[in-house]
Amino acid sequence: MPPNPVTTGPKALIDASPTKDFFIHMLTRDIPLTRSILDLVDNSVDGAKRTRPDGNYDGLWVRIELNAEQFRIADNCGGIPVDVARNYAFRFGRQEGAKDTPGSMGQFGVGMKRTFFRLGRHFIVHSTTRNSQFTVDQDVDHWLADSDAPENWHFKFKKLETGLRIKEEDTGTIIAIERLLPNVKDTFALENFKGRLAEELGDAHALTLNSKLAITLNGLPIRHAPQQLFASQTLKPAFLEKAYSSQTLAGHRGPPVRVRLYAGVAERNIHDGGWYIFCNGRLILRADQTPAMAWGERHQMRAYHPDFAFFRGYAYFDSDDGSLLPWTTTKTGVDADSPIYKAVQREMIEMTKPVLTSLSNLARERATDGKEHPLETAITTARPTLVQEVAHPSIFSAPPPAPIPKGPKMQRIQYDKPAPEVERAKRMLKVRSFTAVGERTFDYFMKYEGGEGE
Amino acid sequence: MPESYRIVNYALRPAKAIERRMLCAAFERLYPFQSVKDYRYLGFGSIYFSDFQLMHRALGITDMVSIEKDVSAKPCLRFNRPFRCIRLKFATSSEILPTMRWSRRSIVWLDYDDKLNTEILGDIATVCLRAASGSVLVVTVNAHPDAEPPKDERDSYPEQTGQPFELGDYRLRLAKGLLGEKLPAGTTGADLRGQGVARVFRDVIHNVIEEQVSLRNIALPEGERVQYRQLFHFRYKDGAQMVTVGGIFHRASEEANFLACGFSALPFIRNGGDPCTIKAPCLTPKEIRHLNAQLPKKRPAFKLRVPGVPDTDVQHYAEVYRYFPTFSEVFFS
Repeated sequence: MPPNPVTTGPKALIDASPTKDFFIHMLTRDIPLTRSILDLVDNSVDGAKRTRPDGNYDGLWVRIELNAEQFRIADNCGGIPVDVARNYAFRFGRQEGAKDTPGSMGQFGVGMKRTFFRLGRHFIVHSTTRNSQFTVDQDVDHWLADSDAPENWHFKFKKLETGLRIKEEDTGTIIAIERLLPNVKDTFALENFKGRLAEELGDAHALTLNSKLAITLNGLPIRHAPQQLFASQTLKPAFLEKAYSSQTLAGHRGPPVRVRLYAGVAERNIHDGGWYIFCNGRLILRADQTPAMAWGERHQMRAYHPDFAFFRGYAYFDSDDGSLLPWTTTKTGVDADSPIYKAVQREMIEMTKPVLTSLSNLARERATDGKEHPLETAITTARPTLVQEVAHPSIFSAPPPAPIPKGPKMQRIQYDKPAPEVERAKRMLKVRSFTAVGERTFDYFMKYEGGEGE
Repeated sequence: MPESYRIVNYALRPAKAIERRMLCAAFERLYPFQSVKDYRYLGFGSIYFSDFQLMHRALGITDMVSIEKDVSAKPCLRFNRPFRCIRLKFATSSEILPTMRWSRRSIVWLDYDDKLNTEILGDIATVCLRAASGSVLVVTVNAHPDAEPPKDERDSYPEQTGQPFELGDYRLRLAKGLLGEKLPAGTTGADLRGQGVARVFRDVIHNVIEEQVSLRNIALPEGERVQYRQLFHFRYKDGAQMVTVGGIFHRASEEANFLACGFSALPFIRNGGDPCTIKAPCLTPKEIRHLNAQLPKKRPAFKLRVPGVPDTDVQHYAEVYRYFPTFSEVFFS
């Protein structure tokens, strides 16, 4: 039989369309629970940005409530316009022509939907803008039960009113998620989970909280640690400001990426030392100490070490075109292969180096028994300063450490003896410290048994 | 341990002296970028400042910075500083380099005594990121193969590593310790004997420079992108085996300047993995004068003659005679 080629018509098509099940599974598998909630807060913050372009969010709020039965987030940040809901907000992925909030946190068009599916099987979105109101009330199981055909991927408005006149303070969005998934139920019942979420909310939205947006979790206000570095006449944090053109980064015209980097010392804390990375005001990486970022031989650097627990670095990436920023879709880390991050990473490393040298000097200064500790004094007497107040680009500077005292190489001796005997020796020697007991007994031995020395 | 400058007078290392003069001869050609005397020279002057003496005398450079890590040597170095224009910085290079201003074209010679290590690579990275177009970076490191360790260390080796002692394996561990993931994949213990260490170190330095330059270029528009052109790859041995690698950074738009330098006319320029090996034969002043009288050769095939000197020595001398140092005993009064 001669071959019968079929390269046109329906017979030539191979079905590669996704099933809903697969889609939900892929979408939700990599996002931690806390992060999926942060995604909804990101949307509220973007709403606040649209409502108050001047960046003062005084009077705006986001309220999160969660328990083993229900998750609810409400805000008064302007609501979702009907056309945005109809054409963009509920679609999977961002499409060309989608309206942007300049400098927005939502970037990938997955956040809100992903959170619905991650948390439960029924979601209700109620939104009020200055001129419209709508409600979407969707049972996910029903949606899944419909076929996977493209026309069955729709959600439906339950209520829709347009042409209204509503006061700005009455606008906002309420999202409720019910029929929580079993593992989500269990987790939401834990007090510790709420503690962790509060912590992450405070970190992730530190800058927004600075701008007076009030975020609460089950009624408790979310607080945040300010981004501070020690500064004084003699101790100066490093600050670098740079803009990267969209043309160089992505090969097309568009808004640039503005980068601000700060590095210096702050309170010693082994867990808080490292780099903090923000994209459009959202913290995506906290206290990074890993080789993936700026530490270790990969970058010709030393690895993170307890001596460096004073170190703090803050990197702020901002752009009206969020696609240029180095975030991952889950906003849990940096896209280390993105051109902007690669370009900035070297600057971060170069800024880190002098700080680490100073901190190594500090460790050495502390280890020697000199009378003066200029470096330590400089650090302990400096004033914590908000990085936003560091005005002028500068390199890090700190006073040199105390010179290492000249003298023979010293050797530490350590031993244990019964306490009553040591106390007795202390009385006999008329000294107050155990160190003195050790030194005096050694001196005594050397005086009578040590002879003239070598 | 005393600093190495107390063990050996750098000025008396003949191969090093030749290298220094060759480098200087190359630096003379930088004028298409700008007048060479207006470059900044950055180096490790030690107490002899041999390189500083040469660069100031021969090139007229006056913006000079010497980095010295031995802080306790401050008075000694200040006393020995040969010219007022040399600024002394007391700290490690990894501390000084990131905090310097780099807008000026620079000649940077990082002339270490140590084996190549992560910190040195960090210094190289800093220069690659900052150096202005037309700047030169030269790096010298010790590339002597590791000797077999003493017996007690060999005996405890299986306990510490789970492997019987084997010199190649031992060397590979040390190299891995110094360079980590920068040690080229596939390097074996056998690669780290004899000249092998110099070969590996040259590759590591070269790879790091290429990597850093590519990172620097990500954020630069096409015309401002920087290229690195290797010019130097020396090996020599006044005692320990040393390797020197270096080259020039220039903006793509300054390609013409680079070509106008005409570096390739210099016989010791090397663009790749093949080194220029400097050998300094031991010759008497009379032998040197005798050979000089026959140089440069009339024809390439011309046979130089001097009684009692091996042909290889004569040949080595002919390769470096223009840069050959003369040492003599002088009585100061």
